[in-house]
Amino acid sequence: MATRSSTSSSADRLAPLMAHLLVGVGGLLMLAPFWFMFVFATHSRTDIFSLPPPLWFGDASLGNLQILTSRLPFWRNLGLSLYVAAASTGFTLLFCSMGGYAFAMFEFRFKRALFALVMGTLLVPSFMNMIPTFMIMNALGWIDQPRALFIPGAANAFGVFLVRQFVIASIPRDLVEAARMDGCSELGIYWRIVLPLLRPALGTLGLITFIASWNNFIGPLIVMRSPEMYTLPLALRALQSPVDTEWGALMTGSAIATLPLLVLFMLSSRQLIAGLTSGAVK
Amino acid sequence: MGQVTLRGIGKRYGSTEVIRGIDLEVQDGEFMVFVGPSGCGKSTTLRMIAGLESITAGELLIDGKVVNTLHPAARGTAMVFQSYALYPHMTVAENMGFALRMAGIGAAERARQVGRAAEILRITELLARFPRELSGGQRQRVAIGRAIVRKPSVFLFDEPLSNLDAALRVDMRIELTRLHADLGTTMIYVTHDQVEAMTMGDRIAIFHEGRLAQVGAPLDLYHRPANTFVAGFLGAPRINLIDCPSAHHALWQQWLQCQADRPSAGRAAPSRLGVRPEHLQVVPVGSGVPATVVMAEHLGDCSILHVQVAGIAGLFNLKSVRDSGTFAAGTLIGIAADAASVLAFDADGRRLA
Ligand SMILES: Nc1ncnc2c1ncn2[C@@H]1O[C@H](COP(=O)(O)OP(=O)(O)OP(=O)(O)O)[C@@H](O)[C@H]1O
Ligand SMILES: [Mg+2]
Repeated sequence: MATRSSTSSSADRLAPLMAHLLVGVGGLLMLAPFWFMFVFATHSRTDIFSLPPPLWFGDASLGNLQILTSRLPFWRNLGLSLYVAAASTGFTLLFCSMGGYAFAMFEFRFKRALFALVMGTLLVPSFMNMIPTFMIMNALGWIDQPRALFIPGAANAFGVFLVRQFVIASIPRDLVEAARMDGCSELGIYWRIVLPLLRPALGTLGLITFIASWNNFIGPLIVMRSPEMYTLPLALRALQSPVDTEWGALMTGSAIATLPLLVLFMLSSRQLIAGLTSGAVK
Repeated sequence: MGQVTLRGIGKRYGSTEVIRGIDLEVQDGEFMVFVGPSGCGKSTTLRMIAGLESITAGELLIDGKVVNTLHPAARGTAMVFQSYALYPHMTVAENMGFALRMAGIGAAERARQVGRAAEILRITELLARFPRELSGGQRQRVAIGRAIVRKPSVFLFDEPLSNLDAALRVDMRIELTRLHADLGTTMIYVTHDQVEAMTMGDRIAIFHEGRLAQVGAPLDLYHRPANTFVAGFLGAPRINLIDCPSAHHALWQQWLQCQADRPSAGRAAPSRLGVRPEHLQVVPVGSGVPATVVMAEHLGDCSILHVQVAGIAGLFNLKSVRDSGTFAAGTLIGIAADAASVLAFDADGRRLA
């Protein structure tokens, strides 16, 4: 009896300690790549490969930036990334909110079949889309055009589904009908009543879309041909080569590429998490 | 003006017919109550009048014009929803002024009209608040205010008080009745609360399985129900109905005797008789029909007795105003009916006039 209680009490003390240790080690492992990215961004290529590798910031960041901008149209790539991510977010929010609202609130012919079709696109593995995407974009003459990156995904199944579920869960039909009786047009109802109430869902969807576009590598790889039309992930990848990779410059570019997301995440992590779990608990 | 005419109105969803031909004339300025058991089609009918539900048969006229396919906003009707349906992201003033804004009326004029409606409903101090900052009763007022601001020719209410607590419901009931008297506008009011129906309506339309069971003034329906459904629906506790097979039973004989004594007698033999609980009296054992008290509910001002009569399945309700509190379960009593108030029904449930 006595031994059992003593072991259990020591286990009680040990358990949170172990948990903290585990989370701490896990956290360090997750953060290490970021740390080294920022540190290496301030060192030249030779410093990076010295032994032991540098663990603290150096003073080569300006030099790295010079190499970066001489090898790449870096600022242009950055601007393009921003433009594509912003446009992608805007169009996705517009079309997914319209589609999700329609599927949630309206009755129309073939509604179930259409919805099944939209959802069915989730089942198609993305690599199967690569060649058709290229062929379609080529046929449209959209190769090397930013719109090839933000138009095709604007009405996507995930977004439509997210909005539809949100509308079903939190926009009462009465509200739409009240607005209709108040003389609001259908477009007006969408704009003045539904969109404002969709804000939490749109915030989440917007963030997810922005991040996905920002990190998108395969998309631009398929449709962008000339280096001045590359977005950042692709441009930075082009910096690597088997023989002559400017690792310092690459790290500087990567660090700059990470900054917008870090800022975005700090501003909105609460919204992101709240949106993803909304409806999970009522 | 606000005269609403329903001519053979029907509604089907696919193959199920939920409204089966309703003919009704709601006069200008009338307070019409739709009442009936759950699922009988009250809301559907109201929503067809509002234009929120398509009409699949018949004609709907407002002020003599067919409006079957007219847009909801163009019918001159305003609806108050059970859920209030206030726009959560707008203040009370914006909620109330929304229809005016949609109609292109300027901010100053809007503020004036909203202010006047707010005064009528005594919610002026709430105008800057959001719906989430209001109590249920206040939200209800705002919803009514939003309807008033539109100056409709017909108000439509779908169980507007059912989310309020009992005390507030009584207050709002009185207030709505007063509002109707002040505005003089036609109101169509859906409820399943028969007290609301009896006290508020100029006339009541009782729905039963997608049809109208009877339309008339509250007391008319109560005293002269057209059929057993209406007789059973109005009145609490329920009317006592007794079937013909017990033709030789003392109670049947007694009630039949009451019927025969009435001047209008001399028609087909009834197959069911009905007496309301307040028209049954307790008489000394030996006179009247013997019965046993099974349960007595003492409400203070009266007692509801549930009594068993030998040879008849089911209990009879009777409401005794005198002798409150003196009956216990098991007491033997005699019961007798008021001669004037026994109702007779034929085999199809229709009342024999
Ligand atoms: N969209 C629909 N599809 C099929 N049937 C429906 C639909 N809407 C309503 N109904 C049916 O129509 C009937 C009438 O419904 P309605 O809402 O008018 O009843 P109600 O009298 O208002 O009842 P309650 O007192 O419960 O509100 C019900 O049997 C209901 O099942
Ligand atoms: Mg209803």
